[in-house]
Amino acid sequence: MKEQKLPPGFTIGFSLVILLIVLPLVMTFLSTSASQLALSLSDEQVARSIGLTLSAGAAATCIGLLIGLPAAYLLARFKFRGKAIFESIINLPLVIPHSAAGIALLLVFGRKGLLGGPLSRLGLVFSDRPAGIVLGMLFVSLPLLINAARDAFVAVDPEIEHSARVDGASPWEVFWKVTLPLAWRGVLSGAITMWARGISEFGAVMILAYSPKIIPVLIFERFQGLGLAAATPITALWIFLILVLFGIVRYLANSIDR
Amino acid sequence: MENPCLFHLNMKRLICLILAGLLLILPSSACAPKEKTPLVVFAAGSLMKPFSDLEKAFESANPDIDVRAEYHGSIQVMRHVTDLHEDIDLVATADLSLIPQLMYAVNDPDTGKPYADWAIAMASNKLSIAYTPESKYASEINAENWWEVLSRPDVKVGLSDPRFDAVGYRMMMVFALAQKETGKATLFDDFLQDQFQRPVRLIDLGDQQIIRIPELLETTANSRIMMRGSSVALIALLQSGEVDYAFEYDSVIRQHGFERLELPDNLNLGNPDFEADYASVTVRLDFKRFKTVDPVFKGELIRYGLTIPSSAPNPDAATRFIQFLYSEAGQKVMQDNYHPLILPLTVDHPELLPPALQEMTGR
Repeated sequence: MKEQKLPPGFTIGFSLVILLIVLPLVMTFLSTSASQLALSLSDEQVARSIGLTLSAGAAATCIGLLIGLPAAYLLARFKFRGKAIFESIINLPLVIPHSAAGIALLLVFGRKGLLGGPLSRLGLVFSDRPAGIVLGMLFVSLPLLINAARDAFVAVDPEIEHSARVDGASPWEVFWKVTLPLAWRGVLSGAITMWARGISEFGAVMILAYSPKIIPVLIFERFQGLGLAAATPITALWIFLILVLFGIVRYLANSIDR
Repeated sequence: MENPCLFHLNMKRLICLILAGLLLILPSSACAPKEKTPLVVFAAGSLMKPFSDLEKAFESANPDIDVRAEYHGSIQVMRHVTDLHEDIDLVATADLSLIPQLMYAVNDPDTGKPYADWAIAMASNKLSIAYTPESKYASEINAENWWEVLSRPDVKVGLSDPRFDAVGYRMMMVFALAQKETGKATLFDDFLQDQFQRPVRLIDLGDQQIIRIPELLETTANSRIMMRGSSVALIALLQSGEVDYAFEYDSVIRQHGFERLELPDNLNLGNPDFEADYASVTVRLDFKRFKTVDPVFKGELIRYGLTIPSSAPNPDAATRFIQFLYSEAGQKVMQDNYHPLILPLTVDHPELLPPALQEMTGR
């Protein structure tokens, strides 16, 4: 792309946006030292929490793909009664406060909840268990995946699917062999966004499964209970880790494409 | 086709939209009738109900003051003053001894003066066990067998974190005292063993018992215990059935109308006649890294503490709040919340109190 001269009015807004995001992040690094960072990394609670956070986010994203992709495909390809309402319902988690989401989930999946009660008798417990973390992450981040996947499916020309159908493929085969391979880029980007949103979730997870502690909860607890000095190194460490991780993921996603 | 007017029109619309947005924000800030003096109160979670009632009564009697209250675990309350340097006018903790430990001993870097130099012994309380009619073994539990019921493998118990919250370390003391009282040598361990990734240890020296809390306290994967940062956070867990029992202050249990198991006076940390018994237990936090606090909690009668930090932006408003608290109306609010004040006003350094409060000490 050729370098263009940027119009000044827009540049001011643009600079403010970048500053708003970068300045606080840079401050967390300036407020902590390399040795504190290293110490945080050797802190077994922090290390365990990082593993838990990343893997719970990955589990939520896998479940999201499993149930979200069929939903996204339905929304992209079919007209049905109440579709607009269903689309709004799917986006609800994006607009309700996450603490409220946590309470709503607790009422259904808590130990005495509507489903949590029977499920706990089968051995599946959500409160203060990893399953609760996955559920909280799934609830708040699933709309991001479904929206991205729906847009990706819409962008696939229905004619191609139609020809596959004419050639005798079942709808299921069409989805797997035609649509998904054509839409995978949008789906992958949706899955990454969902994962990113999931691992940064605090409110819903904290209410349903405060413990074992994922990084957002651990940062909050150290800040509240042990003070700013105890919380800043993990904060910086986590931000650093996320930057590196998403740098890698974006690089990989781009390179597969070429 | 280029139409310069189109851009112009859109720009106008955009500006109108932004202005409309600003208009929505304005009434709440600039157009508010008159600037009120903010009074920032940081209080222990167990004071949430009485202090919310006080706030309403105080504000209607003092329309020029706007009370802004936050509730946290008692140690966290202190930290907001000394660690985060927040502008706080009044501090109320569930443990009086935290004020000398964490505020007298720390200097405000701006003034070089300690964060506080007096503390009012505001009220007492006692520890009890909260439960609901649906709690497991609700019909069975009593003042003699509670420790055994709470140790059963299918009973879920809510605890607040002893590193941050006064109920947390106080309930540990209750178990140690019960072990001493009953002579059952494994009572403490029966309840807490295998519940935390790093163990909480009771060192029993006969006349002295020391409880050691590890720096990193986390429940194990299948723990019977659900731990939260403050004891009031357990209320919702009890209501939703996540836990069967929770340790709470007696006043809090009565405010919420839970079933209440009263512990014997020699264990509940609420009866001055048993102070000598309580004093046989000490809780020690094994903090190595997070050295900013190194607290040792001695078993003693529960006393709530109240002070105005030296860094308070509006100490006069805070003084008026304390005056109101000790007025007849304030006393009644506390009474109605099952949390009566210690009367007359009792303070460690009466000569350092704001003059307006000195006359209330009955000296």
